[in-house]
Amino acid sequence: MKSYKYLFIIILIAAGLAGCTKDFEDINKDPNAITADEASARYFITVPQYKLYAPDNYPYWRAMLIHADRFAGYYTFGDNYSWWSDELSYAYSASYTDATWDFYEGYFGYLDNFLKLTGTGGDFENDLMYAVGLIMKGLYYQMYTETFGEIPYSEAGDPDIVLPKYDTQISIYKGIIADLNAAMTTIGSNTKTGDGVEDLGANDLYCGGDLQKWKRLANTLKLRIALRAYGATGDDFAAATVGQCFGAPLLSTATDNVLITKDNVISKWNSDSYAGAYLDFGSLESSGGGFTVSQPMVDYLRNNGDPRLTKFARPAFGGTFTFTKPASGTDRDLWPKRVDYLYDVLTAAGADFTKTGNEVTDESVTFSMAPNKNYVGQPVRLNGFIKPLIRRAFFSTPTDFFIAKKGTGSNIYKEIVLTTAEAYFLKAEAIVKGISGATGDANAAFQDGIRYSMRMWGCAEGDITTYLAKPIASISSGTTAEKLEKIATQKWINSYTEGFEGWAIVRKTGYPASLAAGVTDADIYGLGSINGLYPERMQYGSGAYSKNKNNLDAAILRQGPDKMDTKLWFSKP
Amino acid sequence: MHVFDKLLITNPKNQPMERLNLLRKFITVCVGFMLTLATVSAQNVTVTGVVTGSDDGLPIAGATVLQKGTVNGVVTDTNGKYSITVPQNSVLAFSFMGMEPQEFTVQDQRVINVVMAPLTTMMDEVVVTALGISREKKSLGYAVTEVSGSDVALVRDLNVVNTLSGRVSGVVVTQGTFGPGSSSRVIIRGNNSITGNNQPLYVVDGIPMDNTGYGSASSSNAGEYSKSDYGSGISDISSDDIESMSILKGPNAAALYGARAANGVILITTKKGAAGRGLGVTYTGNYTFETPMLLPTYQDEYGQGTGGNVPASVTDLRASGGSWGAKMDGSVKPYWNDLWDPEPETYSPQPDNVRDYFETGQTYTHNLAFDGGNEQSSFRFSYTNTTANSLVPGSDLSRHNFNLRGMTNLTDKFSIDAKVTYFIQNSHNRPIMGTEGVMAYLYNIPRNTIIDDLKDYQDPATYSVRTYTSGSTGNPYWYQLHDVNDDSRSRIQGYVKGNYEFTDWLSVFFRVGTDAVTQGIENIKQYGHWFYPGGRLNVSTQATSETNIDGLIMFNKDISSKINIMANLGANHMYQTYEGMSIFAENFKIPTKPTLASASSNSPSYSPLQEKMINSVYGNIQLSYNNFLYLEASGRNDWSSTLPSDNWSYFYPSVSGSVLLNELLDITGVDFAKIRINWAKVGNDTSPYQLQNSFDLASASDSYLGLTILTRPSTRKNPGLKPEQTSSLEFGGEFRFLNNRIYTDLSFYSIVSKDLIMDVPIPASTGYSYERTNVGEMTNKGFEILFGGVPVQTGKLTWDISFNMSTNKNELVSLIEGVDRYIFTTTNSGTVEVVAEVGGGYGDIYANTYQKDEDGNIVVDNTGRYLAASEKILVGNYQPDWVGGMTNTFTYGNLALRFLIDGRFGGEVYSGTDAGMDANGTSERTLKYREGGVVIDGVRTDGTTNTAQINAGTYWGSYSSIASNYIYDQTNIRLRELALTYNLPRTMLEKTFIKGLSVGVTGRNLFFIYRAIDNFDPEGSFSVSNFAQGVLFYTMPTTRSVGFNVSVKF
Repeated sequence: MKSYKYLFIIILIAAGLAGCTKDFEDINKDPNAITADEASARYFITVPQYKLYAPDNYPYWRAMLIHADRFAGYYTFGDNYSWWSDELSYAYSASYTDATWDFYEGYFGYLDNFLKLTGTGGDFENDLMYAVGLIMKGLYYQMYTETFGEIPYSEAGDPDIVLPKYDTQISIYKGIIADLNAAMTTIGSNTKTGDGVEDLGANDLYCGGDLQKWKRLANTLKLRIALRAYGATGDDFAAATVGQCFGAPLLSTATDNVLITKDNVISKWNSDSYAGAYLDFGSLESSGGGFTVSQPMVDYLRNNGDPRLTKFARPAFGGTFTFTKPASGTDRDLWPKRVDYLYDVLTAAGADFTKTGNEVTDESVTFSMAPNKNYVGQPVRLNGFIKPLIRRAFFSTPTDFFIAKKGTGSNIYKEIVLTTAEAYFLKAEAIVKGISGATGDANAAFQDGIRYSMRMWGCAEGDITTYLAKPIASISSGTTAEKLEKIATQKWINSYTEGFEGWAIVRKTGYPASLAAGVTDADIYGLGSINGLYPERMQYGSGAYSKNKNNLDAAILRQGPDKMDTKLWFSKP
Repeated sequence: MHVFDKLLITNPKNQPMERLNLLRKFITVCVGFMLTLATVSAQNVTVTGVVTGSDDGLPIAGATVLQKGTVNGVVTDTNGKYSITVPQNSVLAFSFMGMEPQEFTVQDQRVINVVMAPLTTMMDEVVVTALGISREKKSLGYAVTEVSGSDVALVRDLNVVNTLSGRVSGVVVTQGTFGPGSSSRVIIRGNNSITGNNQPLYVVDGIPMDNTGYGSASSSNAGEYSKSDYGSGISDISSDDIESMSILKGPNAAALYGARAANGVILITTKKGAAGRGLGVTYTGNYTFETPMLLPTYQDEYGQGTGGNVPASVTDLRASGGSWGAKMDGSVKPYWNDLWDPEPETYSPQPDNVRDYFETGQTYTHNLAFDGGNEQSSFRFSYTNTTANSLVPGSDLSRHNFNLRGMTNLTDKFSIDAKVTYFIQNSHNRPIMGTEGVMAYLYNIPRNTIIDDLKDYQDPATYSVRTYTSGSTGNPYWYQLHDVNDDSRSRIQGYVKGNYEFTDWLSVFFRVGTDAVTQGIENIKQYGHWFYPGGRLNVSTQATSETNIDGLIMFNKDISSKINIMANLGANHMYQTYEGMSIFAENFKIPTKPTLASASSNSPSYSPLQEKMINSVYGNIQLSYNNFLYLEASGRNDWSSTLPSDNWSYFYPSVSGSVLLNELLDITGVDFAKIRINWAKVGNDTSPYQLQNSFDLASASDSYLGLTILTRPSTRKNPGLKPEQTSSLEFGGEFRFLNNRIYTDLSFYSIVSKDLIMDVPIPASTGYSYERTNVGEMTNKGFEILFGGVPVQTGKLTWDISFNMSTNKNELVSLIEGVDRYIFTTTNSGTVEVVAEVGGGYGDIYANTYQKDEDGNIVVDNTGRYLAASEKILVGNYQPDWVGGMTNTFTYGNLALRFLIDGRFGGEVYSGTDAGMDANGTSERTLKYREGGVVIDGVRTDGTTNTAQINAGTYWGSYSSIASNYIYDQTNIRLRELALTYNLPRTMLEKTFIKGLSVGVTGRNLFFIYRAIDNFDPEGSFSVSNFAQGVLFYTMPTTRSVGFNVSVKF
């Protein structure tokens, strides 16, 4: 009998144990998680700032280098060591496109977080910080929409909307300008967001917490967007906006340059630089991930004696190479043409080299180039068939300033957000276009632009003075078209490494013309999926189709087919 | 048959009367139950005896003697003797593989000698069911399959679950190909969850065993670059220690395990000592050697080069790694190693260069077991030592299993059972798979490469890699002999269980058990590596543990001569922990020192102790009427710490019933006919910390410019999370005919999983990339059949045949409003996606295909290459339509021959390996168009006919980028196992100290009888998670193994 008492007790204990949930909530709290009462908004601004321009290796490579910098005509693949021909991504690539789309789409989370935290009812409500967030939002959406066209904007970040609609480019531009206006009004004459942890301070990589600099940044961005929209079909706001911009301070001094100092120690899986793509996969001479500087860039700088040439590119390694004619097939038939092409490229660049052998009659030819002497840019969009002839050693590669290895402590380039030089170029452009309210000396603005650009890129003052004395650096004479070409080209050079902006400049202005013209000769070039045309946008990512298809379909219906050669609103005259 | 039953059958009009009687009896039972509970207390008695076989009259060693309805049991010693202490009037069940089980009720007799006859029927087969309770199989209302330990130990595999393939219907085993001790993916009755792991719960002697897989092959990493695998928990069990494995298929059989039962349960019962005998010693030895079962077919006509040429300069030659050179003519030509080894090589085929990289894999297993006991106690100790060398150089594994189990009766009523096992395993350089894995650099070596030349893998001056091409290409010898990929795992498992018997029909046990695992991994990419020139180091340790405290009250009583009630009531407290630490470091200052101190930078991470608790109460009750009608119900309530307080308590019910028609109807030729039906609902909770949104603090090394940085995780969490729900309905039947010479077992099931806990991908414009929520519905419907018989049974010769097949149809019914597709895997090239799609299945494969014009012509670009259409098309699904196996056993006297043929029918796979081999010109296919090139029959984008001639390299480069060309049918049939064993007759050993001796030869994966895919084993996988299934990228070949066994008993 006694034993049944134990049984009863066991049942009681068991039932007691089972129902006991008192530790449950305690043990289910993550000790690593930080809650709002332990944090401050300033700690949230850094990530959205650097992730837009210096994200991790994956988007840095796939979105920025493979697409933007190559479409912008800054860098080229397709030399003999490159893993790819320079046709890469001109022929639609699902994975590289998806990486770009996913990067832009995913970036919003960082920014949205900052806006929600600092906005009305947020954990760290602060209207000045929120104003800063709105300006950052403008930088992001301008880049995002100019890459794809219509994107979710007005309904983005609404916690009640899982599947936001896509907005037209013009409404996005107008939305950005409204945000920038609101931000500038909020900032007013304030100089910082607050005291102590309320001050963005050093966590603000763009402006160091200086609200007046933020205001000038906002006004310059506003001017950039207005000029991007100016003249597009149905544009009803750009001219008036340009006038407003001239009435408020723009970025104007050397310290006004909005640049991000690179963290060159941090893991490339957090924030990368060009070295992560280039040098982590081999040496400067032979890395499969390596790239060269493009022909349009090197030609313009070299032909005009621009001091930025030696800052951007290093002379070709040079050397002697023997090429053997393929044994059979089309490649054999086209070989003399391709050898001739290489010969012409090197000759046009004024390179010190010799060719021995006759490509028509001989089975091999030998090219010999003097070492470390010639600045030769690699033609853009070469196809894979000509690749064996395109020796990396014949072409200029980026200087160490751009590809110094992480962790070596080297002084390297900064990421460009918006530059003082651009502010002057935008001013010159508005004046030359004769937009109402755009007043001032266009040539002075143009020359200031070149001056601040060259200073930013580290050119010596003497070299700058010499350059500014040349006709190429003056728009005091010439036709409007000639003036605009010079301004566009200078803007393009100044944006070196900031490929998305560079690519947008080419699409809007059509300069450099050699780049915007696209390619036609399939024996030499890779025509890609757009038959040699210049890419006008990128296709939407697979994620856009799988996650929010109905809204995407509506956008495609308005905008045109989801192809890379569909012109976007801003670049349609 | 009882007179009353006859009446019931012959005169249906008596049914109301019968019902009344039943009701009356039920009331009597209930009242009786209460009364008995208060009064009865039975005496314990010790029963001894000898078990012999009717066929040869010799003692049977290893027969199980079990007190029916309990877990109290012993095993006969080598002389067939046993001793067991049981309450008076309890029923002793005697069972032995291949013998007819028998039962005796213990009354006054103290010696029960049993003569067992060879099995002609499995009617009274006893199987281990949920909570470890042994029950007669005929009484169960759901499907349970039991596999004996001797089966899994005979044709052994270092991961014991691999031996289930083809043996158990409804089970799909996908083996990892990472060498000895790889993880495997076991799916019972289809996938129920999109993001959960879908694998069954493993329970060893009542203690759940952590089966966490280590390495990216088991993770949600979908990439195909490099997959590593360090085995999963279940491979830590030594097959020599297994007595039996019970496969509880799906929720129906496993409902008592509640939240963890959704994917079924595999119960493993280990061997124990037998009471009442002296010391017995058993030695089992095994030597197995392994060779690749299947290697790709290569072309051996064209060597390294480009465009049909061998470039004159070595530098140019090295720029092209493919076999696109001239026809190999045996003349002296530039060779890739001429830069450091100028000795001239001839341009000649090396047909065996890939095969010669592989070594013969060898596995040695020694198991020594001691067991014994006296009248009151028994013990078993075993030690298993395993050393294995993989097929690839430099990769080996060693493991030690120590296993100690003891049982003692402290009093007549109180007994204690305790076990402790210790496991330690060290492995060295398990191969890494994928497009950046070791096979990627081996399968595509140029066809004129002398494999030994690759052994010179490092430049002594610069420490950088040397291989057949320049520019970021690996060397397979560097991979295995220079880089490091080591892991070690130790595991302690144990329990103490006290069993108290109040009476012969009421007992209780209380148990405390634990399972603790520590895993360490060290991965080094040496300085000079092709991708990481500065080198890198990854070290990590992880510790997991699970402790369970449980108790069970067991009631089992014949209420009348016809009615039996069996009931169990239990409670369990589970406590799980996880703790992990890892360090990543890179760029070694001293090239030969890949240490933390030598690294230029490092980033550590640490997860502090993570805890999870589940408290549960559960019970079941079974009523059986006259051994032909069985009704059972079970219920379990769980309280999980990972869910919000509103939802953390949830209940899982199940009901089942079965009827033995053969007891009701007398049909000639039918010996046994059972119909069963069952419904169950189980669920799934989640892991810790999934409820609250919070911020992450960047570690020192992740802080941009050293600033304090906070971020928001990309997943929106949900404080209202609910448990997942899986409900399952099953019908089945078991039938035996012609004096039990033919038998069949059929099951249909329908499983519905709802409220899946998922990180649903949402447009990032919402501010998050994922939302963790309960969504969706997935169904699995399937059919399983087992069919077998004894076609020949004459004299000494017996032929047994058993055949099983199963099919499962899976459908994703809904996901989330507006989201129809969940992408598991997108290949790096973006040409293939493996998805779960609403209206479609789990694992649908989408691939790009040729672009065609409106008239159906293939469209090519202006240079004459294929273009891909922009939309990917559905090309298949990776889940097989049918899986099945056939086992034949021929016994002639003491000689037994068994073989298992195993088939998988339907299901597709994309072979990135084949695409890669075509792009590199190494596959046999690429002999086409080598001379003179080809003009693709198609039109250009402008509609004009294509006239551009392209060479073979360009053609195959373009062809290989069209993924739909590489979708293969997975259908294959193979000779999975073959075993020939010989037991020395006992008469021959009579005068020696040896009590038993058997020898055998076994083989696994001997050959394909049929396969649809050219070059690879479609079942060889580089991933065992839900991710990266349905695609093959540079996996190791499946191994063909031949083993020799010897087992001696002293």
